[in-house]
Amino acid sequence: METASLKHAEAAEAFLRDEENADWHNETLWFVRSKRDRAAHSLPEWEQLREQASQIKTHTLSRLDDYLIQLEENAKKNGITVHWAANGDEHNRIVHSILQQHNASKIVKSKSMLTEECHLNPYLIERGIEVIDTDLGERIIQLRNEPPSHIVMPAIHLKKKHIGDLFHQHLGTEAGAEDPQYLTEAARIHLRQKFLMADVAITGVNFAIAETGGFVVCTNEGNADLGAHLAKVHIACMGIEKVIPKAEHLGVFLRLLTRSATGQPITTFSSHFRKPGPGQEMHLVLVDNGRTRQLASPDFRNSLKCIRCGACMNTCPVYRRSGGHSYHTAVAGPIGSILAPNIDMKEYADLPFASTLCGSCSNVCPVKIDIHQQLYKWRQVLGEAGAVESSKKMGMSGMDVLFSHPWLYRFAGRAGRWLMQKFPSLANKPSLNPWAIHRDMPKPPAQSFRDWYAEQNKKTNG
Amino acid sequence: MAESTTRDTILAAIRRGKPDVQPLPATIGFAPNMASDQFADTFLTMVKNNGGQAIRVTSLDEVNAFLGNEYDLTLPVLSRVSGLDISNFTPAEDLRLLDDLHLVVLEGKVGVAENAAIWVDEPVMGIRALPFITLNLALVVSEKNIVGNMHQAYPRIDTSVGFGAFIAGPSKTADIEQSLVIGAHGSKTLTVFLLADAGH
Repeated sequence: METASLKHAEAAEAFLRDEENADWHNETLWFVRSKRDRAAHSLPEWEQLREQASQIKTHTLSRLDDYLIQLEENAKKNGITVHWAANGDEHNRIVHSILQQHNASKIVKSKSMLTEECHLNPYLIERGIEVIDTDLGERIIQLRNEPPSHIVMPAIHLKKKHIGDLFHQHLGTEAGAEDPQYLTEAARIHLRQKFLMADVAITGVNFAIAETGGFVVCTNEGNADLGAHLAKVHIACMGIEKVIPKAEHLGVFLRLLTRSATGQPITTFSSHFRKPGPGQEMHLVLVDNGRTRQLASPDFRNSLKCIRCGACMNTCPVYRRSGGHSYHTAVAGPIGSILAPNIDMKEYADLPFASTLCGSCSNVCPVKIDIHQQLYKWRQVLGEAGAVESSKKMGMSGMDVLFSHPWLYRFAGRAGRWLMQKFPSLANKPSLNPWAIHRDMPKPPAQSFRDWYAEQNKKTNG
Repeated sequence: MAESTTRDTILAAIRRGKPDVQPLPATIGFAPNMASDQFADTFLTMVKNNGGQAIRVTSLDEVNAFLGNEYDLTLPVLSRVSGLDISNFTPAEDLRLLDDLHLVVLEGKVGVAENAAIWVDEPVMGIRALPFITLNLALVVSEKNIVGNMHQAYPRIDTSVGFGAFIAGPSKTADIEQSLVIGAHGSKTLTVFLLADAGH
């Protein structure tokens, strides 16, 4: 296996060049994290609620085959057509074949990270299908020909000026107009026409319920509903880990999901689909795409508990200061950095290193995924597979030698302090020390802790 | 590859890889964080927090009067609340014509105090698109149907219906610089009438 490039680090550096925008990004996501805290603290049972959610998910994964079979059986009874896809390509082919059966050429789609993961849009567009993303943030980035930078707030990397320019160009809004109310209204009018003309609606799935054979889709905008209820055909696409056993479990997850995501007590629309509407057709596509592999790995299977709230991103000091696009994968941030290497270890070998391992992600996760520990474990796996970049590997083996030879460690410390005192400019030179690219080295201490400790001992003991 | 084969492959892979059976939690859910006599007030406060308008009424006549003051009832209006006969719009087969709707009034079957989510299901809607496509939405909820939290709501709703939704406010978005804008795709306003129980 070849060594990975410095993809995340390089992209993050580019993101940080626009300092004002980077600061705004950091502060805005921290604000969302603070709203999450207030929402969580409003429930005295928050921690127990997380525990229940975690246990329900752990239980479900331990009987995933049974619940998927139950879901399929009940969905069929309800008149829903169920499909199974081993990977993204099969998923895309299934969706496209449904469109072909209906001679459909106009599709509206609500937010679905699964279809991003499978690259459904380009697949359909190449085959002459018009695919319109209807979530406002998703529509914005679609017009910009960009992937989402956040799973809940897809356009969080953009300022209203960018969006004003974009809408001026594509939707004919006034030049220079950047009032969010005005721009949202323009998008509403534009997308309302798309909803009314669509042949087929595609949605994601937040939760599928084995007991009822139905599924729940959550939005604040109402875009999933407008699409699904107006089109003749509704295709809902889900990863196999989205199933939960019973409807009563939704009470637990719906209380956690939006509080964790944006600090709201619940999404505006939590829509429970169970049967096709009169004269309509409903399809449910169950997708594996690496999930069974993740399930078979005791170290990483916990990541399948994820309910895609985005709390781990909002709190992550690396995500906030590097932007979602620097992760070059559909799901950015800490959870994405666990999921992506499972799909392609070589392509995403950089991501488990895009973390300080501070553990904040694990602390806010509503289903108690040990995110930072899994990132740490990925580093071991990638190291053993030879997928760690050479500069990092050299540094690591250097450290290994240093820490296993106390005399060398003492010497290196003394040499380092001497060098930094005599030639501070050398230590701060980014070409020699990449750590110093955006920061200065601290002032070296006059004496090491070891020397200081020995001196204290001498004083005390005479 | 035939679909049945993919299904079997996925299920076989799950069986090979899944962990030993882990138990479900012994209990699911929690009691509400408020006494039941606070449900109504909390519910109304949360309706407002969600961007809706909250009105206490004692009869449907009051609902009628309020809507008459608030909206131009000569524009397309559809009420599916029995006893509130203000409809002037007959839905056609073509769902696209619903785009003209100015106001839809529906019965909310269950209201949740903690988050002001209101359960509206297919029997109540008649047409699934109604509460989403209308410009303005009004929901009438009986005070006796207010519960404390989501755990109390699920046993009260009929999950056998083809479609149902918890609606918690007007459609909204914050996708442009995190500025909250009410009225993204769905209804731009939500008015919730809390109807006092008969005999109060």
